[in-house]
Amino acid sequence: MNLAQVLNGLALGALLMILSSGLALIYGLRGVMNFSHGALYMLGAYLAYEVTSQGLSFWLALILAPLGLAIVGAALELGFFRRLQRRSHIEVGLVTFGIALVIDRLIVIVWGDNTLPVRAPKAVDGTTNVFGTDYPTYRLLMIVVAIAMAAALVLWLRNSRVGLHIRAASHDTETSGILGINVDRVSLVVVMLGGALAGLAGTLAAPYFSVSPGMGQSILITVLIVVVVGGIGSVGGAMAAALLLGLVQIMGNVWLPSVAVLVPYALLIVVLLWRPTGLAGKRV
Amino acid sequence: MSVRIKVFAALAALLVSGGLAACGSSSNDSSGGSSTSSSSSSSAKSDGKPLKIGLIPPSSGALAVFGTDELKGWQVAADEANAAGGVDGHKVVLVKSATDGQPATTIRAARKLATQDSAKFIGAIMTSPEHAALSKQLPAIGALNFNSTGKDDGLIGADCSPDAFRSVTGSAMDVNAIADSLSKLPAKTWAIQAVDYSTGHSAAAAFTAAAKKAGKTVVLTQYAPLNTSDFGSYISKLKSAKADGLFAVEYGADGVAFVNQGVQFKLFDQYKTVLGFNMVSEPLFKTLGKKITGFYNNVGYDVDADNPLNKQFVAEYKKANGVDPYYVPADTYMAAQILFAAVKKAGSVDPDKVKAALKGLSVPDLSGQNISVGADGQALRPSYVGQVVAKAGGPGGLGFKIVSTTPASKTHPSDSPDCKM
Repeated sequence: MNLAQVLNGLALGALLMILSSGLALIYGLRGVMNFSHGALYMLGAYLAYEVTSQGLSFWLALILAPLGLAIVGAALELGFFRRLQRRSHIEVGLVTFGIALVIDRLIVIVWGDNTLPVRAPKAVDGTTNVFGTDYPTYRLLMIVVAIAMAAALVLWLRNSRVGLHIRAASHDTETSGILGINVDRVSLVVVMLGGALAGLAGTLAAPYFSVSPGMGQSILITVLIVVVVGGIGSVGGAMAAALLLGLVQIMGNVWLPSVAVLVPYALLIVVLLWRPTGLAGKRV
Repeated sequence: MSVRIKVFAALAALLVSGGLAACGSSSNDSSGGSSTSSSSSSSAKSDGKPLKIGLIPPSSGALAVFGTDELKGWQVAADEANAAGGVDGHKVVLVKSATDGQPATTIRAARKLATQDSAKFIGAIMTSPEHAALSKQLPAIGALNFNSTGKDDGLIGADCSPDAFRSVTGSAMDVNAIADSLSKLPAKTWAIQAVDYSTGHSAAAAFTAAAKKAGKTVVLTQYAPLNTSDFGSYISKLKSAKADGLFAVEYGADGVAFVNQGVQFKLFDQYKTVLGFNMVSEPLFKTLGKKITGFYNNVGYDVDADNPLNKQFVAEYKKANGVDPYYVPADTYMAAQILFAAVKKAGSVDPDKVKAALKGLSVPDLSGQNISVGADGQALRPSYVGQVVAKAGGPGGLGFKIVSTTPASKTHPSDSPDCKM
């Protein structure tokens, strides 16, 4: 496998890393498998399309789309997750599935069925020579953004007061509440952050994949596998699993193309047989 | 908040989501609002019966936009015919229904149109699975189906029906046209990137055989699963292969992603020829933009064909819709022309008489030639290969320049042996 293929694996892993971090955070705190996460990612991509099609900068979209999705996240938390927190996980999961259908349909109503283009900014639209290999600069940007996001998120979770509260609440919500942590406020922050990360991933994916209805559904299964392989609720585990899956998927495409589509599922089975709680277990 | 209120909130959320999702699938039940339309009245000079055509396009999902364009093709044909006093005196009436693209929904709609609305001629059904499923039901409902979009070869093979006719060229015909054009294209060594689906495999096999026959070499053949969004690994392999031509069989969103990512990798710079199969077409020109200039692709319809019938169709279509037609409305218009010609020859709107009249029928085609309908129901129309060029007024400023025309005698020399009626 040459350097270009390793970079392909890292680029795919980078996108999955951003997307799965938000999903893992929400699950860790609320115990909800948010099936609308793929739809939020798609909404982020469409918002990026809308911003750039208005003649505004892609860099601005990279800020506005996550902000917009953070607001959607707040609406989800206040409108659904908080109100349904004592319901069974299956019921809440079904509600998030319904939310995904609503968002999917609204997107088609507003933007139509066609695949839409989003151009990468000129500064990153060409190729960069990486140790003798010409590689798309935009994909390198995705890798850099994902690494920066991962570092910032880990530092914030480990060193800030809010991060401490999130980690505490993710371990035991009730005890955290008894000890004075405002779990509702922490949860609001986490769901908004999860939405923002989905928006960031969608914006980054827009020039990478183009924007089309169904893009959320197609990636959701992979992201769910990443979160389970990483250890449900573990942000660090999800990040590691995302990179692992990206690399393994590309290896499958290169060496075993006829069965490459099964790679994520094979990885899921192997990891769960080896470590039933995933790579990181319940550690945040 | 009480438990009752929480339950209500959850139910409301599910109901709202379910309700909105249901907007994505519609059917032609009586509540679905079938509507009739015709452009002008005419008195039937024969038996006074109208020529009722039931239309069942997809009204939701990714194919809805093509369904709308099918309706436009039928409408232009109906308006033209009615303005001229109808088809042999029979006023053309379009009875519009809708489907979500599922065969079961489409069959329900067809049954209602044929039995309750007396529309014995069906059109505007989009996908091959819908056509295949409907073919088995046509004798029971006494209707004829005029297919203008379903390209699967099985429809004139194992799934052929004496009650089903097709105006659009089939997949094998298009591949054969591409194979026929190969000797005219400059590349000598080829790489193939195809969707890991039956169409991708059959197109790759036909292309490889044609390349061998033309003295050209295929150095790499690889398949990507349907709905692939990241083509990075496939593109890196293509870049490593020493080929000066690329044959790509990627559809819809997959095709858009492949082209966009290929540009990011500067993949296409290394080729003398990029030849697509159903990869770049007029509906995608705006999305793909000028980066596809110079690409070759199979073309279903030559909008610039210089003959009176095509000029009249283009003018009428543009007057009604404000844009030039492309292959979907054009193939649909031809489905209407074939039906109208058969009704004239039969002197009746009785489906059995129309079916009999289709045998040996000669119909003027938009290509300027006269065409016939084979015993398997396939309209024997020519197939094209075109090159994407800058075109003022075209979608995205682009259009096709036809570089190769292959007659049906070459693309479909005989009926499929699988077709047993």
